[in-house]
Amino acid sequence: MLRLLLSSKEFYPVRFFLASFLLSGLIILNVSAPGTAWAGDVTQAIVIEDAFGRKISVNMPVQGIVVLNSDVLEVLRSLRAQDLVKGVYSEIDKDGVFFQEFLDRPRVGSWKNANAELIADLNPSIVIAYENNPGTELEKQLSPFGIQVLRLNFYKLGTIAKEIRILSKIIGREQQGEIFAAWYGKKLDAIQKRFDYIKEKPLVYVESYSAFHTAGPGSGGHDMCVYAGGKNLADEFKVPYSEITSEWVISKQPDVIFKTIAWGNGFERKDRVFFNNVRNELAARPSWNLIPAVKKGRVHVLDSGIWTGPRAVIGVAHMAKCIYPQMFDGLDPEQIHKEYLEFFQKIPYQGVYISENLSGGAK
Amino acid sequence: MNTDCLTIKNQDMKNQYKALKYRSLVLLAAFFLIASVIAVIALCVGASSISVTDSILALIEDNGMARSIVWNLRLPRVIMALLIGIGLGTSGAVFQAVLRNPLASPFTLGIGSSAGFGAVIAIVFFNGLVNEYAVVIWAFIFTLLSSFLILGVSRYKGATAETMILTGIALMFLFSSLSSFLQYLGTKEEVHGIVFWFFGSLSKAGYREIVMSGIMILAPMPFVFRFAFDFNLMTAGDESAGALGVNVSGVRMLSIALASLMTSGAICFTGVIGFIGLVAPHIARMIFGSDNLFLIPASALIGGVLVLSADTLGRTVWLPHVIPIGIVTSFIGVPFFLYLLIKKTKEYW
Repeated sequence: MLRLLLSSKEFYPVRFFLASFLLSGLIILNVSAPGTAWAGDVTQAIVIEDAFGRKISVNMPVQGIVVLNSDVLEVLRSLRAQDLVKGVYSEIDKDGVFFQEFLDRPRVGSWKNANAELIADLNPSIVIAYENNPGTELEKQLSPFGIQVLRLNFYKLGTIAKEIRILSKIIGREQQGEIFAAWYGKKLDAIQKRFDYIKEKPLVYVESYSAFHTAGPGSGGHDMCVYAGGKNLADEFKVPYSEITSEWVISKQPDVIFKTIAWGNGFERKDRVFFNNVRNELAARPSWNLIPAVKKGRVHVLDSGIWTGPRAVIGVAHMAKCIYPQMFDGLDPEQIHKEYLEFFQKIPYQGVYISENLSGGAK
Repeated sequence: MNTDCLTIKNQDMKNQYKALKYRSLVLLAAFFLIASVIAVIALCVGASSISVTDSILALIEDNGMARSIVWNLRLPRVIMALLIGIGLGTSGAVFQAVLRNPLASPFTLGIGSSAGFGAVIAIVFFNGLVNEYAVVIWAFIFTLLSSFLILGVSRYKGATAETMILTGIALMFLFSSLSSFLQYLGTKEEVHGIVFWFFGSLSKAGYREIVMSGIMILAPMPFVFRFAFDFNLMTAGDESAGALGVNVSGVRMLSIALASLMTSGAICFTGVIGFIGLVAPHIARMIFGSDNLFLIPASALIGGVLVLSADTLGRTVWLPHVIPIGIVTSFIGVPFFLYLLIKKTKEYW
């Protein structure tokens, strides 16, 4: 019977019909298989602008997110969107105590070099990465799977509230996003408005993680300094992270010095010994005793946790209080931090984040 | 008649060598003078507004801030730059002589990569961003480790130049890959720190660093000079040198160990300044010829001049930024090297 069907010319239409039927079946099977570009119920799409300034049409609802850095993970937790996180960056273990609830999520590679295959396996709707890392090859690798790559930084003070709103819109947590962004703006405004009548701002030297590397315009550290009411020594630099000489710092005579460190985790720190050691080493650099900031004991060391990320507002509060101790006498940065961790992050307040006890508490 | 001819020829050669020796000594003195002049210039320029007169006066009298800046910041930097140049130039000359290879340098032998890997370990696992001595110690450990590996393989397979070069190249790739792997694991702050370390910097140079680095660089010098004549004989080939009484494998192994120590003394404190070890000996060879008695001190002086010039330019040409020294050495070294290479009419290697 089958041989007759295949050999006879009279059965051509039947064979054509059968072949079409089989082909259609295969296409349907393929389309509905997980991991393909057509998976999921695409009900609507919204257009957002990411950190690159690209208009991106994001398919809604977002059913899963792969997160490539700690900044976006922290914001997602503030938006109560932990359930959407399908995969995380591999370095998360370094912040294991802070991000405990995410430690069971699959790792997809480094913040600057994610593994496209692992991401495709998880079949998220979107991947959120920094503006410049990983490179745009990630978009090319993931587009055949229908996975979109969204570039949001969450480390620039000027854009963080906007990015919170964008993210909250995409994941359908607009109310939480609005509360969080408003809180953020309110805290920053409360500090900012006090500088309206300040004519001459104190000179501030900001030292990044590596010795003698400062933060100029374009870097998160510079933004923080400006938001905290300081005049950055490097405010006319064309390079965001530049090496400078000790001689230059001395010749500029900064009134305040801030140094940030990225060792361990402020959240797990119990005392200020490490910060104080770093501060003392800084003050003991050759000829730094000639700098007003060193003479007056105004050298401060900050933890990377409150430096240029979602908690930068807390860092700014600390810095503002260090730069203008009298003006911000009533400001308690630790209280802001406590509010942030307990209300938004839903984790208990703990840790030590700066070399000085500015709040007057026990630690 | 024949004896007379030979005596005259011998006398001629002696006179020629004397003239060459005299020329080389004059050239060495000239380079020493150049290095001194650049050192004085380097002491007089910087980011602060101290005048040249005040800078020079600061060396002999207490004129307040100028003295502090010159003695505490500029002078250590100048000394460190000279030391590093001397260390890299000398070790490069030694590597090229004992391995009889123009491409041999501390970096083609994997010593730079291994130091880099040590620094990366320190930055990623031992707080190297804050604790700079962790970086120094780990970089030092790995330079020694790579040297021991080269020497170990060479001892096992026979200390030929080819074995050492191939082992060195293999180690270079291994340590580079390991560094890349750790960078892959690092956070963005750590990756920043690693990148800057690989650029090289003299910003952290202080008298303590000078003493430690100086011991590692200068202590092996007498031994290296002691071998200079053996190096000359080894250029004719291992067998010829052996026939003339040189313990070829012994000299080679010890020289590699000493040159490695000098290299680690140079780069552990400052990061990778890769180009000097390769180019300083070539420049020296083009100017001084191949006699290691002069080639080695000349490489040291030229290395010192190159590093000091590069650092002085790097910290003054784009004030107040510092252009990393690893970049500037290539900027000024490569054109100079190419110029000499093109101008040189006879084969120099």
